[in-house]
Amino acid sequence: MIQFFGKSAELQLEKDASTRYLPVVIAAMIFLAALSIGGLFALSNAISDWSETLTDNLTVEIAFDPAADLDKKVTDAVALLSATPGVANARPIEQDETLQLLEPFLGKNAALGGLPIPRLIEVIIAEDSAIDLAALNEKLTEAVPGARLDIHRPWLDKMVLLGRSIQFLAAGIMLLIGCVTVIIVIFAVRTGLIMHSEVIQVLHLIGARDNYIAEQFQNYFSRLSFLGALPGLIVAIIVMFIFNFLVGSLEASMLPPLSVGIEGVIALLLLPILVALLTRYTVRRVVLKSLRRMM
Amino acid sequence: MVRFENVGMRYGLGPEVLRDISFHLRPGSFHFLTGPTGAGKSSLLKLLALSHRPSRGLVTLFNKEVSSLDREDLPAMRRKIGVVYQDFRLLDHLSALENVALPLKIAGAKNSQIYQHVAELLEWVGLGRQVDAKPPTLSGGEKQRVAIARAVINRPQLLIADEPTGSMDAEMGLRLMYLFQELNKIGTTVVVATHDLELIKRFGNPVMYLKDGMLTTRAQDDLPAQFSKDPA
Ligand SMILES: Nc1ncnc2c1ncn2[C@@H]1O[C@H](COP(=O)(O)OP(=O)(O)OP(=O)(O)O)[C@@H](O)[C@H]1O
Ligand SMILES: [Mg+2]
Repeated sequence: MIQFFGKSAELQLEKDASTRYLPVVIAAMIFLAALSIGGLFALSNAISDWSETLTDNLTVEIAFDPAADLDKKVTDAVALLSATPGVANARPIEQDETLQLLEPFLGKNAALGGLPIPRLIEVIIAEDSAIDLAALNEKLTEAVPGARLDIHRPWLDKMVLLGRSIQFLAAGIMLLIGCVTVIIVIFAVRTGLIMHSEVIQVLHLIGARDNYIAEQFQNYFSRLSFLGALPGLIVAIIVMFIFNFLVGSLEASMLPPLSVGIEGVIALLLLPILVALLTRYTVRRVVLKSLRRMM
Repeated sequence: MVRFENVGMRYGLGPEVLRDISFHLRPGSFHFLTGPTGAGKSSLLKLLALSHRPSRGLVTLFNKEVSSLDREDLPAMRRKIGVVYQDFRLLDHLSALENVALPLKIAGAKNSQIYQHVAELLEWVGLGRQVDAKPPTLSGGEKQRVAIARAVINRPQLLIADEPTGSMDAEMGLRLMYLFQELNKIGTTVVVATHDLELIKRFGNPVMYLKDGMLTTRAQDDLPAQFSKDPA
């Protein structure tokens, strides 16, 4: 680590005013990168959460029909479902419960008695069971007219598609941030090379290897990047906490709680190290290329 | 040690500042290089110091033809060459001590070995009290002495000095010439570029005379009293 972040002994790059802006820019870049990473991981966790709950947990809806005996239909459907292999549990949802579910949309005191509310059955699929939901749906409709298995599939597909697009967008943003960071670093190093060209020449002429000179630049710039990355990351994490808190405090929220998960945390913590390594590599390339122009 | 064969040199696309230079320096020899201002002395020394490439001809140093060398071999070769530049080329933000220690440090010597040695040398060139001074606060002659100390600190096999005594009084100049002579006695090949014909006469070493980019070797008594009156 000492070597990695060592001082630039002869070049004294740390006295340059021109490169002091670099940590600020890197901080901004890391802030944005951390937010995209946070979004990326939170989203991918949310998607897998939804798919899990939605595929394990189905609903059967029996259409309201004033002429039919709905209670009998419900009993028939539950019997059929319970007999199907792979179904762990089928439970009719009571009228009161249904009303409760609808409360946020219709209000507490709505006169619900007369409303054509369908009957619902909650179906829980056993873990690790492969069930042909389409076939089950057909069988159910045949046995109990008006019954329909709501497999959430179209809705879920759309959500997953949306999630994936946002993930692509986040990945694109990350790529863009990476490119911009590299370009900024290249310009900073070029400025440094020009400002210190005389010292570099002297070092070169008294027998310094390219590596010796390149290392002073690498160490200095990767330290700047790392030191800029830390505050950027910290601010981004604070912002994510606040955002999560606000989401969590929304009442009857449609959004599931966000979590970046352990992979997300690791990715976020790796960010400053990655940017320091990226800087180091970029600086090395630029310096060696410029030194090769000398005899 | 050093061999030039039909060497020509130009800066960029400019005219040739050195033309058809051929000479041979034996190991352990001591030569003066003189000639009027603008004749190309510093340019010739740049070829010797491996800071520039010839535009034609062959330069051989330490029995190796320079253009045939790999880039990675050059630093090791440069470490065998000590150079005193006409404009010193000291690093302004380092102390005199650190400047002189630089060649050792770059060659990978340990700090404990470096500083004792460096301090002694600085003492010897009369800068015992200025070891911690930065070059911008030193006089011209003092800077020149730091530059000389840096050139000789790692006992180079080839010592190149461009007007090494131009900025100091005659007495200090002589003292440093004696230093070069001492190094020469222990085997260092020395080339000193100078305008100072008095100095050349005093030491009596062989002289390379450069004029208009052409080199001739001259005996001591063949040198002009003044460059401007030289008919050649
Ligand atoms: N970096 C450079 N770029 C272009 N031309 C140069 C450069 N350095 C020197 N010259 C030209 O090369 C010629 C020889 O210069 P050089 O410095 O070798 O002369 P010199 O003999 O050392 O002179 P002096 O005695 O004044 O130090 C001069 O005409 C000079 O203008
Ligand atoms: Mg000169």
